[in-house]
Amino acid sequence: MVKNMNAEKKKTEDIAECGPENIRMKTQNLSVFYNNDQALHDINLDIACNKVTALIGPSGCGKSTFMRCLNRMNDYVENCRVTGKVRLDGFNIYKDNVDTILLRQKVGMVFQKPNPFPKSIYENVAYGPKIHHLIDNKDELDALVEKTLRRVGLWDEVADRLAAPGTSLSGGQQQRLCIARAIATKPEVVLMDEPCSALDPIATARIEELIAELEKKFTIVIITHSMQQAERVSHHTAFFHMGHIIEAGDTQKIFNDPEHQKTKDYIGGKFG
Amino acid sequence: MIKLFERRTRIAMHRVKRKKSPFIYKSYSKKPKHRWLRKRNAQERRFKRTGFIAILIAFLFLASLVWNIFSNGYSAFTETQIQLPVTFEAELIEKDAYRTIIQNSLLELFPGIEDRKEKRDLFSLVSRNAPHILKDIIEENPEAIDRKAMVWIPASSAISIFYKQHVHEQAKRSGKISPSQVAWVTDLARTKNMRLKFNWAFFKNGDSREAEQAGVLASTMGSFMTILICVLMAFPLGVATAIYLEEFARKSWFTDFIEININNLAAVPSIIFGLLGLSIYLNIFGLPRSSSLVGGMVLALLILPVIVIATRNALQAVPPSIRYAAAALGATPTQVVFHHTLIYALPGIMTGVILSIARAFGETAPLLMIGMVAFIADVPKTFTDPATTLPVQVYLWANNPELGFVEKTAAAIMVLLTFMVLINLLAIYIRRRFEIKW
Repeated sequence: MVKNMNAEKKKTEDIAECGPENIRMKTQNLSVFYNNDQALHDINLDIACNKVTALIGPSGCGKSTFMRCLNRMNDYVENCRVTGKVRLDGFNIYKDNVDTILLRQKVGMVFQKPNPFPKSIYENVAYGPKIHHLIDNKDELDALVEKTLRRVGLWDEVADRLAAPGTSLSGGQQQRLCIARAIATKPEVVLMDEPCSALDPIATARIEELIAELEKKFTIVIITHSMQQAERVSHHTAFFHMGHIIEAGDTQKIFNDPEHQKTKDYIGGKFG
Repeated sequence: MIKLFERRTRIAMHRVKRKKSPFIYKSYSKKPKHRWLRKRNAQERRFKRTGFIAILIAFLFLASLVWNIFSNGYSAFTETQIQLPVTFEAELIEKDAYRTIIQNSLLELFPGIEDRKEKRDLFSLVSRNAPHILKDIIEENPEAIDRKAMVWIPASSAISIFYKQHVHEQAKRSGKISPSQVAWVTDLARTKNMRLKFNWAFFKNGDSREAEQAGVLASTMGSFMTILICVLMAFPLGVATAIYLEEFARKSWFTDFIEININNLAAVPSIIFGLLGLSIYLNIFGLPRSSSLVGGMVLALLILPVIVIATRNALQAVPPSIRYAAAALGATPTQVVFHHTLIYALPGIMTGVILSIARAFGETAPLLMIGMVAFIADVPKTFTDPATTLPVQVYLWANNPELGFVEKTAAAIMVLLTFMVLINLLAIYIRRRFEIKW
């Protein structure tokens, strides 16, 4: 099954085509409960294909919970219950027989704090393709690692020390390495949970450039606490508050002419 | 004088010029507003001083222990030998009467001894093992038959100790030595027919009734075989248990129950494990008594909980973000553990395992219960052969009242401590070399 998929993937180069509706992921009445506390209430959100969708909202509003639903990382949270549907390319990923391994290959994730493996830089990037058997031999793997590192703009900085541990890089480099690691498995969607919150402004700017570069080939969902960042990098924005989506839509619309008073207050810095 | 005076005035003027710093401790006045500051500083100094004294006391204890062992034991690493003019008479060799050969050569050295008691004293100058040494010589060089040769023969333990004290001019202890023996030894020493040699026998022999022949090889081998069995059993079992509990088991009352019991097991007195081994391994499974196999299995029970706890701690020290990173890449839980968590925890696990091996290495009580306290003269060849271990050997020799065994005991402790230090150094090296900083 996996092998067949891989063979298919190779034919169509890296990236899957967008469907006719241009919607990559879609949630339908998605609710999440931790024990008996409801963290998300009937979320319906469409995530456009090969566009950047920003999730904004005050702390504890359910952005991260929502994001973890998209690649089922919530499975690792104890006492977490999910109802409703999340569709990836039209298929519900919360069906019982869904292979989360394959799902997570297609929906990669970048975390808030850079968390490279304490292995070599090369191994960090090569790990995903290796476990998914995306490559056949060492040369292909070398080529893939180089291509991926070039894509995140890290190649020139680390080409001569691929064997150095990933943890020896600076914070910004580590985060780009994590992005490289996530896109090395050729995902369709990349989830980024506040990828710049631990970085300085220069490193942040580089990541934002990178996101702009990646959006051509990947669907990106990004959580951010920086309104400016959301405005700069995203096409669509969803504003979460207390587990509800208050407003979602075109970024320009949300930032310039929000429909909801709460959205206006949050973007204007009145609370958050 | 004038210069000094000038200097003083200069300092005084300097002081007048500058304002007194409010932050220098000595300048705190007795004013109530400075009371707390003084108190806090005094507390600080008191604590530092107490800590230093504690370390000093601990160090003194350690130093006196090491000194005591060393001063008792260093002489065991040398062996006293007596040079004898031996005539290898073919007749006697044929009859296997090497003892007579030795006796003849002793009588040749000190002629004119008729008294039976005197003779016995004379013959007991050399080790009771001397005939075997002659036999070995003849077996190695048969051409020596019917020839006369000067041969260095190990002295008996009592003579050896007397000679060593004589040499080191500290004849505090007196062994069971007769006045004529003293005269002979003095004579032999004067004619340079007595010498001290490095005691290879101590490292080549097993236990012996004769102190001068007793060595640590059998017990050291026994120790290593026991530890090998112990590690082969406890390491996979302990690490697997820890991985399951830490990474796979869902939290429930049952896992809590197991966890509490493992922690309790680590605190069980070691002799209880010996009793367990006795009743299960020996009485139910019928495994061979006093074998290193059973010893290792008992010690495995002993260190199993320690390994489980050390492994769990090492696994917990791996940040969860690494697990999430691997899982988000699509690694299965098993892959997360074996490609990441376990690898990164390995230095910590190894440190824990090595330290628990050190504990097992020094363990005595449970081995007494399963009969490893036997007299073992031969090096064990298989895991089912009767064996003993170094600490048990120390215990056995310490129980022996003979003076020769006092130094052997201390020497065996030195060997044991050397292994302990090596094991601990290995643990430190692994920790330093492979530790991952997050």
